[in-house]
This record gives sequence, structure tokens and C-alpha cells, in this order.
Amino acid sequence: MTKTTHTVSFTLNGEKKTFGTRPDEKLLALLRREGYRGTKYGCGQGTCGACTVLLDGRATYACLLYAMQAEGREVRTIESAGTFDNPSVFQKELVAAGAVQCGYCIPGMVMSATALMETEKVLEDEIVKEYMDGNLCRCTGYEKIWVALRKTLDRQAAAPAKKPAAKSKSSAKGGKK
Amino acid sequence: MKLSEFIRPASLPEARKALRALGPKGMVLAGGTALHFMPGKTTVTAVDITGLGLSYIKQKGDYFVIGAATPLSDIQRHRGPRWAMHEICRRISTHQIRNVSTIGGNIARVFPWADLPVVLLAMNARMVVYSGKEKDIPADEYFSSQPARLFRGGDLLTAVKIPVLKAHHGFGSVKATRNATAFSLVTIAALLELKNGVIKSARVAAGSGIPFPQRLKPVEDALAGKEASTAVFKEAAAAAGAAARWVGGEGMSADYIRQLAEVSILDALERAAEFARGRAA
Ligand SMILES: Cc1cc2nc3c(=O)[nH]c(=O)nc-3n(C[C@H](O)[C@H](O)[C@H](O)COP(=O)(O)OP(=O)(O)OC[C@H]3O[C@@H](n4cnc5c(N)ncnc54)[C@H](O)[C@@H]3O)c2cc1C
Ligand code: FES
Ligand code: FES
Repeated sequence: MTKTTHTVSFTLNGEKKTFGTRPDEKLLALLRREGYRGTKYGCGQGTCGACTVLLDGRATYACLLYAMQAEGREVRTIESAGTFDNPSVFQKELVAAGAVQCGYCIPGMVMSATALMETEKVLEDEIVKEYMDGNLCRCTGYEKIWVALRKTLDRQAAAPAKKPAAKSKSSAKGGKK
Repeated sequence: MKLSEFIRPASLPEARKALRALGPKGMVLAGGTALHFMPGKTTVTAVDITGLGLSYIKQKGDYFVIGAATPLSDIQRHRGPRWAMHEICRRISTHQIRNVSTIGGNIARVFPWADLPVVLLAMNARMVVYSGKEKDIPADEYFSSQPARLFRGGDLLTAVKIPVLKAHHGFGSVKATRNATAFSLVTIAALLELKNGVIKSARVAAGSGIPFPQRLKPVEDALAGKEASTAVFKEAAAAAGAAARWVGGEGMSADYIRQLAEVSILDALERAAEFARGRAA
């Protein structure tokens, strides 16, 4: 049981929440103990990307963010991107491409790709690589992840009016029930 | 570093007051990315400065003014006439780190491998320090030793002023790494002022591979008054050995790092000359 001394309030996957915390608690630790376990602990030092979440729409490492830094902001985790029964387009493409082996890197990959799709209009390879440069995969050699992402982006470009799945899922907020 | 308290002052004077009262038990937090790695058993109070309106980029007269709490990704994405800061910011760590870590955090406490001090030295930038009122400090003085010395009394870095490059000025930077997101082995930045193909003035700085970022005066001296040609750049780069104490590491000898520096200096000078001749930034 974590002994908490402070509180922090932020919007998590579309819902306003207040959590007990401590000044030195990382956002990653808070999220995981509150049941948002899709966000993974890999290196704990800002190099692997398994802990990627969106902070006000920007991809950040939850392992290098104190929970207190989230005050008043909007945090989104992988639980907002899709569910097993209702995966996002990118998640479907990842499965179709056989791009998921151990799967540990995938939540981070999906969150970085979500930031990319929601922010950029021109999705050239150079900009895609820039958004994905902070996510390591130790299994796949990246090729299949790249194929799945490129397919998703090309599909999005062909149907620009369609909103990306990440923001609108109300059934997939995650956390302890 | 262990945090025992976390405060969010509402204004610069309030932040400074809190830091002065806390003394060594207070620590400015901007992106906070470096705080996780700082050693120290004593617990500190984090003073979060991200709510003070210090995140912006604007052009004011002859300077681009960048707020101290501006994330590196904003600097990377910014475009303006003869803007040259985006290239080096793109080369710092990963997308997620660039989204959070700030220009102020990179240069308030300088690590030997930090890239921005090198660029700001070459660009002759000015750092704005708040001590009740704001004061500009030129890069040579600011980076003459660890800048953290300037902030011990609760003062804060509020902005960085970068001279807007004139038409005949050119800038180039090179960061040599083992892989795309790794820490630098050698970082070189060069600013050239050309007149009719001749180098009127040069500022060349290095970081990583040496104990602390510094200008390479013998390299600069070998450029001044000469033609902006590859032969001259090569000769100047050869002065790198005399210009600084190169150190090895990660399985590389000091001599290898010096040679890497020479090649990087040549590249940075070629890029700066190309920029001065009109390459679009
Ligand atoms: C995995 C990883 C890889 C990295 N790779 C690179 C790299 O290749 N090149 C590179 O240059 N950097 C690199 N960095 C460093 C990164 O850019 C720094 O962590 C960052 O610059 C610190 O910025 P911050 O805003 O997070 O600062 P913070 O962590 O908030 O603060 C850093 C220090 O500066 C002080 N400080 C911050 N702002 C001010 C201010 N306005 N006034 C007074 N004092 C202040 C703080 O008190 C603290 O001592 C890397 C970092 C990580 C974690
Ligand atoms: S766990 Fe955060 S980057 Fe690896
Ligand atoms: S699938 Fe195993 S780390 Fe990427």
C-alpha cells in the first residue's frame, strides 16, 4: 500500500480524477497502482518507450514524469486507444501484420502513433520516424510494426474526414472499477 | 534526487522568494527529466516553473528570444527566417524527451555531453537571468564554468536570446553518436561570417569528448581572414588537438575522439559556409 501525502487532479482518459500521491512518485507508478497496467515499466530511465502516455496530446515517458507534474492536465493511456473487443485501426493492423511478438513495446508504440496521427497532417516517412524514435522493440526488428503503421497512415490519408479512434472511446477508460 | 515537497509558484518573484527561503533544499523543476538522475541523499522541494509563462519563441529586434521553459520539441518545430536551432534539437534524445525537457534545463546545469551549450557558445547567445530584475549574460561568460553557480541564490534563467543570423552569416552543427538517439561522442557548432568568400569572423565550439563545452580558439584563429574553402577548413580542423583536452570513453581512445572531432569540425564548417552562401535553413 502506497503511503500518500499529497493529491493530484487531472483528466485521465477523458474523466476528471483525483489521486493520492507523494512528491517523488512517478506518474508511471501511480497509473499502474491505480489499475492502468497497459502502460508498461521497461527501463525506468527514459530510453525504451514502454511507458509512453500522452500529456496534453504529446507523447511523454511516464517513468520520467513526477505524478505531481500532471496537475490540471490531460493524460491518456493505452486504455483509451482501444480494447481487445474493439481495437483501434492501428492495433488491428499490428495484429494483421504479425507485428506483436512479446507485445511489451506495443502500448507505447500505439500511444506515439496516436500523437502522430492527431498532430500531423503530412505523414511523410521522416516525420513518422521522428515521432516513433523513442520506442524500442526487442523482438520484431521493427519491419512489421512499420508496415502496420504505414498502412494505418495511408488509410487515414485516404479518408481524412474520419476521426482517429483514440479520443472517442468511452467504453475503454481503464483503471480500477 | 528525492522530492519531499512540490510547489507551483504563481509568479517569478514568488518562485525566487521560495527558492531563496529553501536554499539548498529547493530545486527548480522545468521538464524534470534530469532531476530523476541527480544524485543526493538529501530530500528537496521541487519548485515547478512551468506555470510562469516561460514557454515561448518570439523574434524581438536582432534576437530570437526563447523562454527558458520552452520544450526542445517546440524549438525543433519552429521555423523563421535564418532560424538554425531546429537541427540540433532534432538530434537530442527521443521524441518523448524532447516534448518535455526544456532549453533552460539543458543549460542551467550543464552535463559534459549536453548539446545546447555548444550551439549557444558558437551562436554568441545571451542568457537572461532573473535576480529580482533581468540581466543578460553573454555565452562566453555564462559557460565559463558550471552555470549552476549563477542559480544558487534562488535566481532563475528566464530566457535565451539568439542573434538572428544576417545574410552573410552561416551556421552548422554536427553531433557524432553511436546511434540516432544516443548521447553525443562529439558535438561541434560553427558560426561563420563571410565577406566576398573570405572568413571575416568565426566562432567554433565543442562539447562531449572534452570535460566541459568550450570554444576552440586555435581553430577559430586558423580561419579568420582566410578564404572559405575546404582546404582552409581542413587546416583549421587540424588545430583541434591543440584547442582542447580530448578524452576517450565507451571503448574509444582519446586520439580517436580527437580525430572524430576534426572530421566533425570540417563538416560543421562546410555546413556553415553553405548556409552563409544561401542554403535554405
Ligand atoms: C534518456 C535521456 C537522454 C538525453 N540525451 C540528451 C542528449 O543527447 N543531449 C542533450 O543535450 N541532452 C540530453 N538529455 C538531457 C535532457 O535534454 C535534459 O534532461 C534536459 O535538458 C533537462 O531539461 P529539463 O527541462 O527536464 O530540466 P529539469 O530536470 O527540470 O532541470 C535540470 C536542472 O536545471 C535546473 N533548472 C531548470 N530550469 C531552470 C531555470 N529556468 N533556471 C534555473 N535552473 C533551472 C534544475 O533545477 C535542475 O538542476 C537527455 C536526457 C535523458 C533523460
Ligand atoms: S520505462 Fe519509461 S522509457 Fe522505459
Ligand atoms: S514485441 Fe516484444 S518488445 Fe516489441
